[in-house]
Amino acid sequence: MRLGLVIDLDTCVGCHGCATACKQWNTSGTIGPLSDTAPYGKDPDGAWLNRIRTFEVEEQPVSKTVHFPMSCLHCEKADCVTVCPTGASYKRDEDGIVLVDQDKCMGCNLCAWACPYGARELDPVQGVMKKCTLCVDRIYDENLPEAERKPACVLTCPTSSRLFGDFDDPNSEVSQAVRARDGQDLMPELGYAPTNQYLPPRQPVEVSVHAVEEEQPFTVKGWINKMIAR
Amino acid sequence: MSSTEHVIKASDDLPQFENHDQQEVKYSTCYMCACRCGIKVTVENDQVRFIQGNPNHPVNKGVLCGKGNAGIMKQNSPAKLRVPLLRKAGSERGAAEFEEISWDRALDILTERLQRIRETDPKKLAFFTGRDQMQALTGLWASQFGTINWAAHGGFCSVNMAAAGLYTTGHSFWEFGEPDWDNTKYFMMWGVAEDHASNPIKIGLEKLKRRGAKFVAINPVRTGYQAIADEWVSIKPGTDGLLALAFVHVLLKHRLIDEEFLVRYTNAPQLVVHAPGSSEHGLLLRSEDGRPVVWDMVGEQFTGAHDPDVSPALVGEYQTPDGRTVHTAMRLILDKYLQPEYSPGQVAERCGVAAEDIERMALEMAQVAFQESIRIDVEWTDWAGRTHDHFIGRPVSMHAMRGVSAHSNGFQSCRALHLLQALLGSIDCPGGHLAKPPYPKHIPPHIKPARTNQPNTALESPPLGFPTCPEDLLVDDQGKALRIDKAYSWDAPLASHGMMHMVIHNAVKGDPYPIDTLMLFMANMAWNSSMNTAQTMEMLRAKDDNGEYKIPFIVSCDAFHSETVNYSDLVLPDTTYLERYDTISMLDRPISEPHAACDAIRQPILDAGRDVRAWQEVMVELGGRLGLPIFINEDGSRVYKDYKDFIVNYEKAPGIGFLAGWRGKNGDEHLVGEPNPEQWETYIDHECFFEYKLPENMRYLRHANRDYLEFAQRAGWVGSTEQIVIELYSETLQTFRLAGEGLYAGPKPPLAPQAERLATYFDPLPFYYTPLEQQQLEAGEYPFYAINQRPMHMYHSWDSQNAWLRQITAQNYLYMNRAQAEAMGIADLSWVWLRSHNGRIRVQAKLMDGVQADTVWTWNAIGKQAGAWGLSDDANESSQGFLMNHLISQSLPEQASQSNSDPITGQAAWYDLKVAITPAAAHEQGSWPEFVALPPLQLAQRAADEISYSSHDNVNLVRSNADILRKGGLS
Amino acid sequence: MHPAFSVLLFTVTSGFGYGFMIILVMAQLFGGNPFAAPQAYWLSFAVALLLMTVGLLASTFHLANPKNAWRAFSRFRTSWLSREGVLALLYYPLALIYIFVLWRNSWQTSPVVLLTGVLCIVIAGLLLLCTAMIYASLKTIPQWHTRLVPAGFLIFAVLSGLLLFNLALTSAGQAVAKGWLWGTVALSVLAAVFKWYYFAFVGKPSRSNINTATSFTEARVRLLDTGHSAPNFLQKEFIYEVGPKTKTLARRLVLLMAFAMPALLLFAQMNLAGGGLPLALLAVVSAYLGLLLERWLFFVEARHVIRHYYGA
Ligand SMILES: Nc1nc2c(c(=O)[nH]1)N[C@H]1C(S)=C(S)[C@@H](COP(=O)(O)OP(=O)(O)OC[C@H]3O[C@@H](n4cnc5c(=O)[nH]c(N)nc54)[C@H](O)[C@@H]3O)O[C@H]1N2
Ligand SMILES: Nc1nc2c(c(=O)[nH]1)N[C@H]1C(S)=C(S)[C@@H](COP(=O)(O)OP(=O)(O)OC[C@H]3O[C@@H](n4cnc5c(=O)[nH]c(N)nc54)[C@H](O)[C@@H]3O)O[C@H]1N2
Ligand code: SF4
Ligand code: SF4
Ligand code: SF4
Ligand code: SF4
Ligand code: SF4
Ligand SMILES: [Mo]
Repeated sequence: MRLGLVIDLDTCVGCHGCATACKQWNTSGTIGPLSDTAPYGKDPDGAWLNRIRTFEVEEQPVSKTVHFPMSCLHCEKADCVTVCPTGASYKRDEDGIVLVDQDKCMGCNLCAWACPYGARELDPVQGVMKKCTLCVDRIYDENLPEAERKPACVLTCPTSSRLFGDFDDPNSEVSQAVRARDGQDLMPELGYAPTNQYLPPRQPVEVSVHAVEEEQPFTVKGWINKMIAR
Repeated sequence: MSSTEHVIKASDDLPQFENHDQQEVKYSTCYMCACRCGIKVTVENDQVRFIQGNPNHPVNKGVLCGKGNAGIMKQNSPAKLRVPLLRKAGSERGAAEFEEISWDRALDILTERLQRIRETDPKKLAFFTGRDQMQALTGLWASQFGTINWAAHGGFCSVNMAAAGLYTTGHSFWEFGEPDWDNTKYFMMWGVAEDHASNPIKIGLEKLKRRGAKFVAINPVRTGYQAIADEWVSIKPGTDGLLALAFVHVLLKHRLIDEEFLVRYTNAPQLVVHAPGSSEHGLLLRSEDGRPVVWDMVGEQFTGAHDPDVSPALVGEYQTPDGRTVHTAMRLILDKYLQPEYSPGQVAERCGVAAEDIERMALEMAQVAFQESIRIDVEWTDWAGRTHDHFIGRPVSMHAMRGVSAHSNGFQSCRALHLLQALLGSIDCPGGHLAKPPYPKHIPPHIKPARTNQPNTALESPPLGFPTCPEDLLVDDQGKALRIDKAYSWDAPLASHGMMHMVIHNAVKGDPYPIDTLMLFMANMAWNSSMNTAQTMEMLRAKDDNGEYKIPFIVSCDAFHSETVNYSDLVLPDTTYLERYDTISMLDRPISEPHAACDAIRQPILDAGRDVRAWQEVMVELGGRLGLPIFINEDGSRVYKDYKDFIVNYEKAPGIGFLAGWRGKNGDEHLVGEPNPEQWETYIDHECFFEYKLPENMRYLRHANRDYLEFAQRAGWVGSTEQIVIELYSETLQTFRLAGEGLYAGPKPPLAPQAERLATYFDPLPFYYTPLEQQQLEAGEYPFYAINQRPMHMYHSWDSQNAWLRQITAQNYLYMNRAQAEAMGIADLSWVWLRSHNGRIRVQAKLMDGVQADTVWTWNAIGKQAGAWGLSDDANESSQGFLMNHLISQSLPEQASQSNSDPITGQAAWYDLKVAITPAAAHEQGSWPEFVALPPLQLAQRAADEISYSSHDNVNLVRSNADILRKGGLS
Repeated sequence: MHPAFSVLLFTVTSGFGYGFMIILVMAQLFGGNPFAAPQAYWLSFAVALLLMTVGLLASTFHLANPKNAWRAFSRFRTSWLSREGVLALLYYPLALIYIFVLWRNSWQTSPVVLLTGVLCIVIAGLLLLCTAMIYASLKTIPQWHTRLVPAGFLIFAVLSGLLLFNLALTSAGQAVAKGWLWGTVALSVLAAVFKWYYFAFVGKPSRSNINTATSFTEARVRLLDTGHSAPNFLQKEFIYEVGPKTKTLARRLVLLMAFAMPALLLFAQMNLAGGGLPLALLAVVSAYLGLLLERWLFFVEARHVIRHYYGA
């Protein structure tokens, strides 16, 4: 199994719902707590597993604003795991989820250095590394209703811009979406083989215009009423 | 794909991550904003484990937005008020020196004061509520108290949208209708950043994009929703009416309009008297029984507009037997909008939209409406009792909000949009803009604002309503305003939501009269809800010659330490949304879906653990203490034990109460029925919401759908089953215009400027005019439009206290067009001065491409006063963030007596602001003005230096040592 | 990259330690005790070990959760940091055996001395390599992901070792052989040229950019919003900006202090009859400070690819 997310850049409106859902689920989840510093002071900061950045693409007049959510991409060739000296970071054999054993991490940051995608953040209070768990504590929890055994960010996304599933299964929703919409790797040149895929914005929809007789613009005088019964 | 296929089977034994046996799941309704999504809350150890969307809820269908997901940190806010506060004797208002008092004492003080006011002059109590979601209760309370001086936030929010809709189509944008997301093929969004249908819009946009429908966004700024539009139209602020009417021009020019729709469902064929200079001019030709008249082409005669089976002429000019000339309204429409002034070529420059694009978009809409129309095969019966076997859908839909409404031409601009919709035939049809029950209503709804105010007497009607003629205005014999906010005066005749933004200003000036007590609920009037903030704060402290405060007593009910708390004499601490019972009633702003009537409740999920009370409980308690009629029995004893008791048992009309679900003794009647003593419990059992799905034949064309109208009448939503005829031509407006022209037979405005405003702006057909403030500024002196947007993840001023949300935005910037800024020598992140006719502020600029070149904008309400909201004095919000409100004047530059509002509805014109921008000197850093830091209050919690929130001991997923030693070769 | 002072201290100090160790043991293996008095060797050896240890200890200062530091020995199969830890741990018994046997054998080179001595040299080299590979293995930082990094770490450490060796001999009152001095001067020049080359290399554009980062490869992409107001962990850790003027100055100072000054001082020392101690000491101090600055620049000029998501 190769579990991961598909993120649709065509429909994400940048609402931060997935970011705060992630924060609230995971702060009491297996990777939690996710601490915050200066929460009510100058420069509030904290550990987040999912962040939304916004880019402007192309110059005017044809340019576009793109909201870009990013969490761990659960890479196939995850250097964040190989560099970890303590063995706290690992990639699970059974589903490819990359995790950090909170009891073993020494907070050296090396894995964060090795991650190209900014997916790892050191907890400022606990001093251990935090990252997206793909909500391993939801997706396998048989006490949750079946329909809710999905990552918190996927459940909450109002624009359904986040899909979750098994990329090894060619018929899964994620595999189909990647095929249909030409899913993209981020920074493929680094060779991390990220599992998560990004769907590029669709081509703008074009609508044809109603045919008009250019020569004879209509005037009030020329109006003949149609018989329309009320 | 069914959801079960997503379920991943565990392949190894994972630990038990949480003990579900210790957790409790409760349903309720979110109130991180006014969208009112259903939530499912998991609680353990008296703390929130997780707040998720309720998948069964009609509003949000399981999803939550950025705010809704941050409820934990609202609940943990250090800014929560703890106990009632009374301004210390001898201390100055605004110095925030308070004495903590008991609820008994607080209620005694308040009761005594209110009793005295009620016995003498009830209107001396001005009761204004902000982001109130229980206006049905606060409004009822005010009318029982007997003050006409009640309103909620609508007047400074979006009354232009509500009023334009209710005076035109019978429903409206805002919360009263929504696009048919499932069927629309062309969606045009005008000036919307987020709106109250926050999650429904997001869900809807994705649906339509998935279906390949086209999404056009008309907005000077390209963020949020506009970012995912197929086409972004970067309009110049305040010119939407012009653009809409140019679309109208193109459609008319090519006769690409839905004539059947116009004939059957609108007043376009009705006849309008043409008698310039007479008191009849522009009024509808009426038959003897007072009904509008049309020209029947079959019988070649005048006939009642409401007669079935006649074939009215849509366009024409006729002579009545008594020699009067009459035109069909449609004829007037053609005459007006075919004028070259509305041609794409002539509006292009002013709107900042190319003429070809205007022409093209109009023809795209025509194509979709008329060549790609849809048909839904359902048998339905029209108003005349004729059955039809299908509905025709014109799948062009629109949504519009404050980008249109927060301008002083917003009412007419919004009416222009409704005209456009009607020409396309896309109102309440499949694929078009659908009404949400209890809408549509007759045009306008038959409620008149209360005018009489007697000691110890309840009002005869609600304080707010819908005038249709000058006689309905709230003015005295001299034409002076009766209400403290001057709503329904000659200055703002159709101010159907009141004008909350004028209250403080007017009360301090004693114009039209001084008041005794200002009671504010859920409104941050000392800060982001007022224009001209700095001076508003001074007004709140202003004293008369005797050293008495000009507003003698200010009471506020807030849950948090807002800026306004500091200016209050008595502060009543409220609960949070997770701590109280609450009703989201159909008598109020609906949460219905187009095809379902819905309401909802909140239930306490956590114990408040502080000495706070829900305002709704306080209302009921005060009602009893003051002996307001509906709250007491004949013997003077109280009727209602508490709020819950009130909600269950109070009936507005027989069988109709605050909650529509599970009525009747046995709880088996819906919408109408006797009180059900178990109603709350039943709601709780049903996940705290009620959804009544309309049968298929009642889902469209409801203004002319007999089954629906009969049903709606039974439910108390409409007064009659008569067809609701869409009013493209507004006789109501013409009536006021006649008054302005001195031609009206009834009351007339006393002052010349008022008369001129009526004559100019009360055009019975939508038209475009330059926003009022801009008319009065020197051309070119303030070259930039300055507007605000709501950030999706923050709600007004509420969320700066939220430790998670403020990490996302603790500082706002002034966003400028990159090319424009660079030409002015303004670099990214440099500080600039922003100057309006009302003052100047220093702000930090940020450059972007996606903003109209002459427009600058910022996120609304991020700037805060130091010391409020439980934040430290050096918090980014107060040292780097800023509030645009300081620049906005509540009066027009040339007429201090006229408010900066729409001349028709009194809607606050937040977005008419124009500014000049200059780079700040190198040493000028940080936002300015800075306001004195407030002394800290003793709040519910001390603001922590760090937080590591968890509702239980986190269960780590352990990696075995064996795995550590085994895995991976030497690399 | 944000230069954590403890890491600068660690790499430079331990580099001095490893380098000194390599030179000391090499000198001993090739020519017996280079010092007149045995104590001087023991002392120098102790200093080398001490520097290594101080360096290693310093490296734990930047751990946010040092109580788990001991676990760093467990992932030597893939992690260069772990390998460094394991080798560093192995070093102590090894060095002790070597020095003990040397002492027991009264400076006679036995096979054990030879074996442990060679191992002391090789493992010190490997340790340097491990430290360097922690950086060089990171594909995320193009300026580090190069063989130049291990090469540099080795060259600078050996140079540091030579300078310390010179100081040790001089402070023991011994004249230093011209060959050693010329060798050190030559290595300084080589190191300077090498660093010069690295400075040029650092300026080369990386294969990753905002386009590959966002998958919008055909268009101009600009950051509009980071999604958070205050700097977060990523920005604090990875994005460290220094003005070009400061950088140029720092580069010049590195070349001057780490390489030119020591070379000049040694040259002066060569041509001085006696009293070279201040010069030798100054050479070490200058090189130490120069290399600290070099390490600072090494971080400052390293541009982690995450910055592309922050608009660069
Ligand atoms: N410049 C500019 N100004 C604007 C606007 C703009 O676009 N530009 N928009 C305007 C609009 S549309 C609106 S609606 C207003 C919004 O203005 P307000 O209605 O004043 O909105 P809030 O800032 O949300 O303030 C409401 C108060 O309610 C309090 N509150 C929150 N939860 C509770 C609760 O559960 N109980 C009680 N009792 N109090 C609670 C908060 O602490 C806060 O003090 O702002 C207006 N101001
Ligand atoms: N997250 C969040 N949701 C909210 C609120 C909140 O504070 N936060 N507030 C709630 C309240 S009280 C309200 S009233 C609604 C308001 O909901 P919206 O109407 O969506 O709110 P605004 O942010 O005022 O958005 C106005 C939009 O119009 C654009 N605009 C400004 N001037 C013009 C113009 O002249 N023409 C056009 N076409 N566009 C223009 C602005 O760029 C902006 O995108 O949102 C509600 N929902
Ligand atoms: S929740 Fe969905 S729409 Fe909102 S930011 Fe996340 S991915 Fe985008
Ligand atoms: S995204 Fe980063 S943290 Fe996640 S697997 Fe890839 S390299 Fe590791
Ligand atoms: S920070 Fe923790 S998880 Fe990351 S490399 Fe260091 S020990 Fe491993
Ligand atoms: S999968 Fe879970 S942990 Fe990962 S980003 Fe989504 S919510 Fe956060
Ligand atoms: S839109 Fe968000 S904040 Fe508003 S009610 Fe829904 S979930 Fe709550
Ligand atoms: Mo509003």
